[in-house]
Amino acid sequence: MAGEHIAFSFAPAIAALPLVAFVVALTFGRFMPKGGAFATILATGGSLLLSIWAAVAVAGGEVYHETLYVWSPAEALELHFGALIDPLSALMLVIVSLIAFLVQVFSLGYMNDEGETGLPRYYAGMGLFSFSMLAFVMADNVLMAFMFFELVGLCSWLLIGFWFREAGPASAAKKAFLVTRFGDYFFLVGVVGIFAAFGSGLFVGDEAFPVLAEEALANGESVLGFAPETGITILSLLVLGGVIGKSAQFPLHTWLPDAMEGPTPVSALIHAATMVAAGVYLVARIYGFYALSPTALAIVAFVGGFTALLAATMATVKQELKQVLAYSTISQYGYMMLALGAGGYVAATFHLMTHAFFKALLFLGAGSVIIAMHHNENMWDMGGLKERMPVTYWTFLAGSLALAGILPFAGFWSKDEVLYEALIHGVNTPLLLAAYAMGLLAVFFTGFYTFRMVFLTFHGDPRTDTAEDPEGVRWNVKFPLVVLGTLATVAGLINMAPVKKLLGPDIDYLHQWLNGPEEAAALTAHHYGDLLHDYAGYTAADLSPLLPAVVSLGIALAGVLLAYRLYAVPEPEQHTDRLGAIKTLWFNNYYQDEYQVWIAEGVAYPFAKAADTFDQGVVDGVVDGVSSVSLFSGSRIKRIQTGIVTNYAALLALGLIGLLLLLGVTGGWFA
Amino acid sequence: MTAPLQYYLLLSAALFCVGLFGVLTRNNALIFLMSVELMLNAANVNFVAFSVYHGNLTGQLFALFVIALAAAEVAVGIGIFLVLYRNFGEVDVTVPTTMRW
Repeated sequence: MAGEHIAFSFAPAIAALPLVAFVVALTFGRFMPKGGAFATILATGGSLLLSIWAAVAVAGGEVYHETLYVWSPAEALELHFGALIDPLSALMLVIVSLIAFLVQVFSLGYMNDEGETGLPRYYAGMGLFSFSMLAFVMADNVLMAFMFFELVGLCSWLLIGFWFREAGPASAAKKAFLVTRFGDYFFLVGVVGIFAAFGSGLFVGDEAFPVLAEEALANGESVLGFAPETGITILSLLVLGGVIGKSAQFPLHTWLPDAMEGPTPVSALIHAATMVAAGVYLVARIYGFYALSPTALAIVAFVGGFTALLAATMATVKQELKQVLAYSTISQYGYMMLALGAGGYVAATFHLMTHAFFKALLFLGAGSVIIAMHHNENMWDMGGLKERMPVTYWTFLAGSLALAGILPFAGFWSKDEVLYEALIHGVNTPLLLAAYAMGLLAVFFTGFYTFRMVFLTFHGDPRTDTAEDPEGVRWNVKFPLVVLGTLATVAGLINMAPVKKLLGPDIDYLHQWLNGPEEAAALTAHHYGDLLHDYAGYTAADLSPLLPAVVSLGIALAGVLLAYRLYAVPEPEQHTDRLGAIKTLWFNNYYQDEYQVWIAEGVAYPFAKAADTFDQGVVDGVVDGVSSVSLFSGSRIKRIQTGIVTNYAALLALGLIGLLLLLGVTGGWFA
Repeated sequence: MTAPLQYYLLLSAALFCVGLFGVLTRNNALIFLMSVELMLNAANVNFVAFSVYHGNLTGQLFALFVIALAAAEVAVGIGIFLVLYRNFGEVDVTVPTTMRW
């Protein structure tokens, strides 16, 4: 079902262009102006144009699916690289290439103008990062997805540890790599399990594994020797391991705040488009598989809701600008997981999209502030930047309003739909309702920490000399901010589902978009709805979207108001002491790092040590023993070799005679 | 074919034993080589005798192979003995025992 549209013949180039830029920047970057920046920017811009073109073709009702390279042509289990561009991946391609493009333009201001060294390495990493993510988004089978999932992890390690000569970034990069790798381990087992159970890892077509799983469920065939429900649940949970690691969900979220050690544009890319989005995108990609297992869905929803609340509370006490944003990212991805688990496939995709815009905006805005503040990130040293950097302030404010979920900014529409989906499906399911409640509570904290950040950074009087006279930023910082600021303001309007419900006009364009062309009927939101109803037993309660929307908006406004009361004064003070014991808990991030370090040092390390002792002592001992015995017996037995040829000949002859006698005796010659 | 097969076999066995005796008792490498030659030829006699007895040519063909093999073996063997002589000044097979271990 390869699409006929001419745009699709250029589809592989969407991913390939940044790869070329990576090679060019790495090889010739040091001879090029700006350290090879233009190579990556041009390539990503090209990817952006081609993605938009491909999206236009998809809008024309075509789906592109092509096997590009078969690297294991075994008949039973073909492994290949292929590209799949359906409404979901087309949307994601546009988002990823757009954010990557803007982030690279921003890097001109953040890295080049600040006189950083090692720029070819930086831009090469950016190119490779974009390539990995774009190829991951286009992947048409789960193995290819896994490979690029890993490559994304590698790129994050390279870029977070960009300033590897300092201890902090190097250790943060290592942590990000190891923690996500821990989750990926489960994903790998899941990939193998999927191939073992269904003999196919395809996402699309009749041989797609979600389709095969659905058939197995309908016919009651066993999956991996389990009942089909159990088998599918186990496989979805294994894949979920990778998702939790990459999308920084509880309990594997600890790497993400540390990853703030990397350059700010890298943080923007990681949080908005490339790394963290990969996990949620993966669940959306194989949503037909998750929709078959109510248990897996409930776990996804609960983990999501819990993470959303947990991270939002931690964000309220942070002092550094980027730390607040880091925890808000974790929290927002929690919302997406909540939506996916609650059956809101469109809502999750919607939030993924709006979040990509406003979070990239906020990070780039933070980057602009950090340039202005000479790389001081502490919000208590800022204040009063509003008049001194108006472009940054107004765009940052748009992003903050979107993050807090205030009408009519993008985040309001998507977050409202997430919560609405969780509520209508949760009325009948207590676990979902609990997840919804946590998500709703997190809205308050979101509003609070977002505007605490805005007020501390931009309002009041300048609290330091640097804030008094901040360094100016150039067009290359302002241009991405303005583009993203516009998007963060209006992007929500593409999917005003509540308005449609209330008033009737067909303006839920994202719903229509994801209901997609007929060609890939198994990948449409409509089909997922059927699956959820048939297999997961999800029924939607008939609720008016008005009241939940008003409630969540009211809660968000309450958070904003509290922040306004506390921090929108000329000389704000720290109010964290009022929290009492909770303050210590939140400052220490619920001791998540501590207990994980304890698990590593107190459990894993002694266990590994015992295993090492066993290996060195018993396993190696047996091997060494065998060799010592051989050596010793060899040293004794070799003495029968005299070196005199006659003796050997005699032994040969005697041996022959002995053999003949033996044959004769047993063969009965002498009987 | 006048003589019965047993005579050939006896001849072959006798030849083989002469060769074996030579290998076991003599020290001179050249005599060694000749004894080995005798044993090989004992086998050849067997091959040819059975070939005629069974009326097919396989055995004779094999005898040819054995002759070729013997020639090759002699070439290698004499090469070794030349080196032996150069190093030890004689071709006594009991002298060079240093190459064992």
